Amino acid sequence: MGRGRVALDSAIHHLRLYFLLLRAQARSQGVYRASFALDALATALITATEFAAFALVLPRFGGLGGWTLGEVALLYGLAELGFVLMDLLFGGFDAPNLSAQVRSGSFSTLLLRPAPLPVQVLGSDFALRRFPRALLAAGILAYGMAHSGVAWTAGDMALLAGSLVGLIAFFGGLFVVGGTLTFWTVESVEAMNVLTYGGRSLISYPMDIYGEWLRRAFTYLLPAAFLSYFPVMHLLGRPLPDGLPGWAAYLAPVAGPLVLGAAALLWRVGVRHYQGTGS
Amino acid sequence: MNTIRAAAPPDFRGGLAGTATLYAATARLGFRRQFAYPQAAAWGLITNFFFGVLRIAVLLALFGARPQVGGWTAADAVTYVGLTQIFIGAFSLFGWTDFMRAVHRGEVVTDLLRPTSLLPFWAAQDAGRAAGQFMLRGLPMLALFVLVWEARWPAQPLPTLLSVLLAWACGFAFRFLVNCAAFWSPDAVGIGRFAWAVQGLGCGFLMPLAFFPAWVGSALAWTPFPAMLNTVVTLWLGQKTGAAAWAALAGQLGWTLVLFALCALALARGLRRLEVAGG
Repeated sequence: MGRGRVALDSAIHHLRLYFLLLRAQARSQGVYRASFALDALATALITATEFAAFALVLPRFGGLGGWTLGEVALLYGLAELGFVLMDLLFGGFDAPNLSAQVRSGSFSTLLLRPAPLPVQVLGSDFALRRFPRALLAAGILAYGMAHSGVAWTAGDMALLAGSLVGLIAFFGGLFVVGGTLTFWTVESVEAMNVLTYGGRSLISYPMDIYGEWLRRAFTYLLPAAFLSYFPVMHLLGRPLPDGLPGWAAYLAPVAGPLVLGAAALLWRVGVRHYQGTGS
Repeated sequence: MNTIRAAAPPDFRGGLAGTATLYAATARLGFRRQFAYPQAAAWGLITNFFFGVLRIAVLLALFGARPQVGGWTAADAVTYVGLTQIFIGAFSLFGWTDFMRAVHRGEVVTDLLRPTSLLPFWAAQDAGRAAGQFMLRGLPMLALFVLVWEARWPAQPLPTLLSVLLAWACGFAFRFLVNCAAFWSPDAVGIGRFAWAVQGLGCGFLMPLAFFPAWVGSALAWTPFPAMLNTVVTLWLGQKTGAAAWAALAGQLGWTLVLFALCALALARGLRRLEVAGG
């Protein structure tokens, strides 16, 4: 037997383990049917009211800095869908969840189990109630695709799909960083909200509406602009800011995983540093 | 040092004065509790400020070169964003589940042992909490908005102050009523999430109600939501003055009384259920 075969077997084993964890949670969340339905609806309503508020006021203003509702919907739907799908996958790493596990000491038990830690954390907070929200985000994105005047080619679709993958990896990386910080401190993790939830809000609208320094910070310090703003600008046939070449719009599948990779390194340092709370 | 000292034992004189002393002590404790985590408050302030920056960018981009939309200037919109960010904490605009938790955990039984009525006891506690949040988060935010964006001071201080107090009272009654769902549902969190999403749109937190199409405004006029924030904004900006301002205050008062009556009703029913369920 080759080494490749062993690696494949262990990957399949971990994947099965992951889905087992998801199924256990899905079952427990389905116990109270009515309250689950309402919770799922409420979670979607958060996105619905936010976008509806924007869509309702837009007719009075005519547009947002030269962007129509369809064009903004493309940007907003993409950011929201990427974020919600990421939340489904990486919810276990979100600071509130992980810090609760660290404080209660249940994180220590994860370390004792004969299964890889990331698989266990990934499978520890799978909130089914986020599905309707993902559907709604997909609906907003679909509206944007239909009303932005783009004649969709296979290349365009690939650009969009790559952007989505990049977004999931990017925000997943931010969640991992926020979760890792809870090993050192339980207090200042709220600062990460500026980057995660704030970042999601920031890239939901055309980034040229923000001040120069804010747009530049979220382009070159944190590559958020590469993930949705640049791809959408390219799809709409507009030049990228700062004289960036057109191919920069295709960097989302690189930029996102880079952030996730850096976060994974920090995670390893954090786990090595982790000593438990003694509880 | 951030230790919370126990309040001086209230002077038990009985009667009206004694009751007032008790509620004042309750409010004072609710106020002091907010200062226990100054670091968390500081990060909360930074997060709120960042979101304020993003929201101002969107509104200013909507205005573009227009001097006025729907009777609002761009400067009005900036002050509006400042107001919404100032009152997030004091009005608990992102939701409040303290009473829900007390019911679910059975702690409400302890409340029943106190020599106070349940509703005024929680109202006093929340009044203290709101005042603490206003001092800790609201005032620094106000200072920042006035310094950075030249947000305006209230055009008519006295009616605005009354409107702020009534907005808190009306909002508290609504939050408490939603929390009462915990008597009937084992998982009322979803109901809460639903309610906060509707409130966010209806009270004018997500967008100024004046920018919505007329039909939305007239539909919302039948709900208590505008009384929880929008009225404060219109009085602060001086869009309603004189008799119209006092009529708006009367509307807030009316909704507050209605909601408190509903709270008392739900509480009486809920507690009776609790007695049946409990041993």
